[in-house]
Amino acid sequence: MRSMTSRHHRIPIRETWIIVGLVCSAAALGGLWALDWPLAQVKVAATFGTPAQGRMITGVALAAGDGLVKAVDDGELAFVFDGKTTPSGLPSTLGAFAVVEQQNDLAGVYAHMAAGSVSNYLTVVKRDSILGKVGSSGWSEGPGLLFELFDRKRGDWVNPLLVLPPAPDDKAPVIRSVALSSGDKTYVLGETSSIPQATYRISADIVDPSDAPWTAGPPAPYTIRLSIDGTEIVRRVFDVAVAANGELGFFTQDTSSATGLRTPDGRYLLGERLLARGRSTIELSAEDANGNRRSVSWSVTIR
Amino acid sequence: MEETGRRGIAVVVVVLAGLAYFLVCALPLPKELLLLPVWTRGLSSSPASAPTTATLSPGTEVRPFRTDANFGYFSPAGDILFSAPGPDGLALAKDSYATYDRLSTGFSVKAPNGAELFKVTMAGYPFFAAGRRFVLAPSQSAVTELDSGGAQRWKYEFSSVITAFGASPRLAVFGLMDGTLVGLDPSGKEMLTFASGGSRIPGIYGVAVSPDSRYVAAIAGLDRQRLVVLEKRSSAYRVTWHRWLDSDFRRPVAIAFTEDGKRLMFEAPGGVGVFESDTRNYFLVNSPTADRLGLSIIPRDILVLLTGSPDSKRLVCVAPPDRRLVDLPIQTDRTFIDISGDSIFLAVDDQLLRLDMREE
Repeated sequence: MRSMTSRHHRIPIRETWIIVGLVCSAAALGGLWALDWPLAQVKVAATFGTPAQGRMITGVALAAGDGLVKAVDDGELAFVFDGKTTPSGLPSTLGAFAVVEQQNDLAGVYAHMAAGSVSNYLTVVKRDSILGKVGSSGWSEGPGLLFELFDRKRGDWVNPLLVLPPAPDDKAPVIRSVALSSGDKTYVLGETSSIPQATYRISADIVDPSDAPWTAGPPAPYTIRLSIDGTEIVRRVFDVAVAANGELGFFTQDTSSATGLRTPDGRYLLGERLLARGRSTIELSAEDANGNRRSVSWSVTIR
Repeated sequence: MEETGRRGIAVVVVVLAGLAYFLVCALPLPKELLLLPVWTRGLSSSPASAPTTATLSPGTEVRPFRTDANFGYFSPAGDILFSAPGPDGLALAKDSYATYDRLSTGFSVKAPNGAELFKVTMAGYPFFAAGRRFVLAPSQSAVTELDSGGAQRWKYEFSSVITAFGASPRLAVFGLMDGTLVGLDPSGKEMLTFASGGSRIPGIYGVAVSPDSRYVAAIAGLDRQRLVVLEKRSSAYRVTWHRWLDSDFRRPVAIAFTEDGKRLMFEAPGGVGVFESDTRNYFLVNSPTADRLGLSIIPRDILVLLTGSPDSKRLVCVAPPDRRLVDLPIQTDRTFIDISGDSIFLAVDDQLLRLDMREE
């Protein structure tokens, strides 16, 4: 098994139009990045796609014990909720939260703020306007902020790390193992170098280390690539999530149901592949949104 | 002399005409509405001999109550089944309740007498409406409906954050941050999908469903905000009425149909807006800012509203469109109202009282 890590420049690869538009507008305003972080100190506790209570997070969770929540961009307050029950009896698992209508048809959701702290007098919001205080209201595992970005034009959730400045993170994702399963047989690459010819279900255990774990599942990487004999057969990019027909799906390309992305024990499902007799090189790489990348490859004999 | 006679005749004619008017045309004075106190009960703690449904005579109706401090059940006759300190997490309905923690991964659904009906293991917050039981996922963009045994009936992922909700026994409608309404039947099948346009910023701030599911109403959008009423025709819901509003609410808005489905009431600047579904009439009942509505329609066409600011409320009874029959200030931040027939059940601070309406 060969393993290597590298650090690349942060190159958002989702739809060019949104990135270019946001960065250009930020540049026009003299800013370096399209959006600012909503908290003064950034500790990413959960990334876009991180599993949490049977679902995957469609934003970024930031751990913080205290502090103020600031608007990431100019906009207008579109919805504010103090965290109690609505007149209809609908509770709020997002706790006290606010929705800010931003430029470019984006809406920012700031959730789990301290109950009673959410500004209800602002209508026009400037970048860095204070929206409330950090809290742990609603269904949140710890004090902090869940920030989500919704693209109104496309009707999907956008990974906020695409348009936020790079977080202080130089750790590459960790690839714990890759398993090939066929029937009731499972082979873990690295533990065996010879497997019979068959169609295998390929799964990987990958985590993106965090200094501030917040949710039940380990943070998801940004990109997962699987290559066999030099040909990329799977590319999973946690760029967008969209709900259609009552189901949540991830990825712009080859959108996949969130329920089918992982095994019950939390491994990423990377599809099925017929491995024919001979020698094969299987390479897996995982990259976070900062461009920290780790690649691992295995040489396998298929008999 | 002749002129004096004519003047006398004119006076007599005027007097007779006036008399005829009062006898023929005058309307009787309307009856006054009286609120007669029937009983008062303390809610600070359960009475030592609190009756349970087992000790109540079979078929006795029980109703839930909830103030900021307490919750429990009572009977219209004045029996308090129990009154317990209200937890932060509470789903309450006539037939059951559930308490839950902030990080709830499960809860017990209990009958009004405290007996456990079933347990549910699921992350999220339960909420009950129209005889149906739902669980809101931690993301606030997915909902599960439970069947009568607590098993999952369906689960639905919505396109964005749920901001409003209304339900009838046959239709649950969810309003979303992105301005969409999605209506699901008890099997989870989509019965309604509607994107409210026309406003600069889309959004749904309140949803109501008439008890017979015929009408769905929503407060939608910003700049400008509007009320949209959809009506089910054949098998589809279509916009049957809409009105641009003067409001600019950016928070959940109270909106509800009356029990007979003929009137829709909703928060409006300066009072409560009323839309009559049969006649398409709209009128405003002037009242201090309404932050929460206790609504009902009495058989005699009297609107009973609980309006006001969080710490100062008013019990208002109105004969449509604008004849105010009762306007009772209530200086408290702990208020609860429920209405059944001619009886109003009103909780003020630690007291629950029954007021019966009589016209005299």
